[in-house]
Amino acid sequence: MFHLSLSLFSSTKSLESKIDFFHDKLLDAAMTFKRAIKIFLEQGRSEEYAKLSKQIKQIEHDADNLRRDIESKLYSQNLIPDLRADVLHLVENLDKVINKFDEVAYKFYVERPLFPDNYHGRINELCNQVSDCAENMGKASRAFFRDLSSVRDYSQKVYFIEHESDLSSGQLQESIFDSDIDLSAKIQLSGFINEIADIADIAEDFIDELLIFTIKRDI
Amino acid sequence: MSSVDLTYFIFLSSGLFLGWSLGANDAANIFGTAVGTKMVRFRTAAVIASVFVILGAVYAGAGASATLGELGEIDTLPGAFMAALAAAVSVYWMIKSGLPTSSSQAIVGAIVGWNIFAGHQTDTAVLSTIVSTWIVCPVLAGIIAILIYYLVRLVLRHSRTHLLRQDSYTRFGLIIAGAFGAYALGANNIANVMGVFVDSSPFQTVSFGPGFSLNGTQILFLIGALAISTGIFTYSHKVINTVGNNLMHMSPLVAWVVVVSASVVLFLFASQSLQQFLHSHNLPALPLVPVSSSQAVIGGIMGIGIAKGGTGLNWGILGRIAAGWVTTPLFAAIICYVSLFFLQNVFNQVVYLN
Repeated sequence: MFHLSLSLFSSTKSLESKIDFFHDKLLDAAMTFKRAIKIFLEQGRSEEYAKLSKQIKQIEHDADNLRRDIESKLYSQNLIPDLRADVLHLVENLDKVINKFDEVAYKFYVERPLFPDNYHGRINELCNQVSDCAENMGKASRAFFRDLSSVRDYSQKVYFIEHESDLSSGQLQESIFDSDIDLSAKIQLSGFINEIADIADIAEDFIDELLIFTIKRDI
Repeated sequence: MSSVDLTYFIFLSSGLFLGWSLGANDAANIFGTAVGTKMVRFRTAAVIASVFVILGAVYAGAGASATLGELGEIDTLPGAFMAALAAAVSVYWMIKSGLPTSSSQAIVGAIVGWNIFAGHQTDTAVLSTIVSTWIVCPVLAGIIAILIYYLVRLVLRHSRTHLLRQDSYTRFGLIIAGAFGAYALGANNIANVMGVFVDSSPFQTVSFGPGFSLNGTQILFLIGALAISTGIFTYSHKVINTVGNNLMHMSPLVAWVVVVSASVVLFLFASQSLQQFLHSHNLPALPLVPVSSSQAVIGGIMGIGIAKGGTGLNWGILGRIAAGWVTTPLFAAIICYVSLFFLQNVFNQVVYLN
C-alpha cells in the first residue's frame, strides 16, 4: 500500500517542488530588486549594482526554464485537466512580474538615471512597496496551491500595498515635475517611476484573476 | 443451439436491449464527469464499469429482483418479453420528449400493466413500498451528498493538500467510486433488465469448479450484465460526449461526491447482506428495490447545491422528476397492456398462465 501510494504520487511530487521553486524565484527577484535599486541610488552603476542586476537576470532565466518545465509537465502528464488553463495562466503572469523586475533593473543599468538626492528616500520607499506587493502576490499564489483560506489575506495585502504605491508614485511624479530639473530629465525620471509602479499594477491584476480562480478551485 | 434456445434468446432480446440502453445511459452517471474532464480515460472507465456491473449483477442482483417478483410474477416468456419491451419503449419515448425518466419506474409500470392484463391483483403494499423508494432515493442521495461534501471541505481546509496531490487523490477516488458505482448499478438495476425473465428462466446451476458455481438466475443476470457492458462500450462514450451529465458543470471533486452519494444509495437499495446485518441488529433496513441512478445523481447534485447556499439551483427539475414518477410507469403500463393484447390475439402467444 505504501509502495503503491509512493508510485502514484511520485510524478506529481517533483512538479510540486518545481512550482515551489518557481515561487521562490519570484521572492528572490523581489528582494534582489529592492536591494539593487538601493545600491544604485547610493553608488550609481557600480560593480555591486552590475552584480545584482546580473543576479536578477539569472533569476529570470531560471524562472523561464522552470515555467517551461511546469507547463510541459502539466500537459504531458495530463494533470489537473479542469484547472490546467488557470494554473498555466497564473504561472505565466507570475513570470511577467519576474521579467518586469529584470527589465527595470536593466533599464537602470543602461540609462543610468540621475535621481536628485532628495528623491532617494521616496524611490526606495516605492521600490519597497512594489517588492512587498510582489512578495505577497507570490504568497497568495503559493496559497492557491496549498491553502485556499490564506489567498484572501495575501490578496488584501497586495491591494493595500498597490494603493500605497500608487500614492507614492503619484506624489513622486508631482514632485519631479514641480522641481527645477531639465524637462528631459523629468521625463526620464517619470518614466522610471512609472516602470517601477507598473510592477505593483501587474501584481494587482494577477490577484484579480487569482481570486476568480480560487472560487473555481474551491469545492 | 436448439430452436428452443434461439426462441428464448429472441424473447430475451427486449431485456437485452433494455440492458444495452441502461449501460449506454447510466455509465454516464458514474463516469461521465471523470471521462468528460479527462481525469479518467474512457477505455479505463469502460473496463472498470463493465467488470463491476457484472460482479454487482451476478452477486448482489437477487434482492431488488425478488421485490419486482413480489410485484408481479410474469410466468411466460412472451409476457416477460413484452414487459421489458414496453419499459424500453416508454423510456425511449420519455427521453425523446425530454422528460426525466428511469428504467426502474418503467419496468414497474410494465409489470403493473401485465398484472392488469393477466387479471392479477397488484400487491399495493409492495407497490407503495417501491413508489416510496423513488421519492426516498434522490432525497437520501442529497442528504448523503451534503454530508460527504462538508466532510471533504473540512478535510481539504485542514489538510492543506497541494493542488496536484489533490488531483491525484481525486483521480484515484473517481476510479474507486466509479467501480463502486458500477457494482451498485449492476446490483440494483439488473432487476430492471432481467427481473421479469427470472420466472421463465431455463438456466440451471452451472459449476465452474470447486467452490464456484452460478445458479440459473445468476446466469440470467450475467447475460443481462453483458448487455449492459455492451452498452457501456459501444455507446456510453457518445452519451458522455454529447450529453455529459446534462445537469450542471461539475468539478471532478464535486463529481466524486455525487457519484459516491448516488452509489451508496443504489447499494443501500440493493444489498441483501446489509439488509440482513441491519435486521440482525434490530435496525430498520431499506427495502431492496431498483431505483434510478439518474435521479440519485440529481439528488446528489441538488444536495451539493443546497450545501453551497442554494443559489442557482434549478428547482423545476424536482417537479419534472416527480412528474416522471407518474408518467413513466403510466406510459409503460399502457404500452404493456396494449402490446400484450396484440401479442396474445394477433401473434397467438401465451402471455400469462394463471
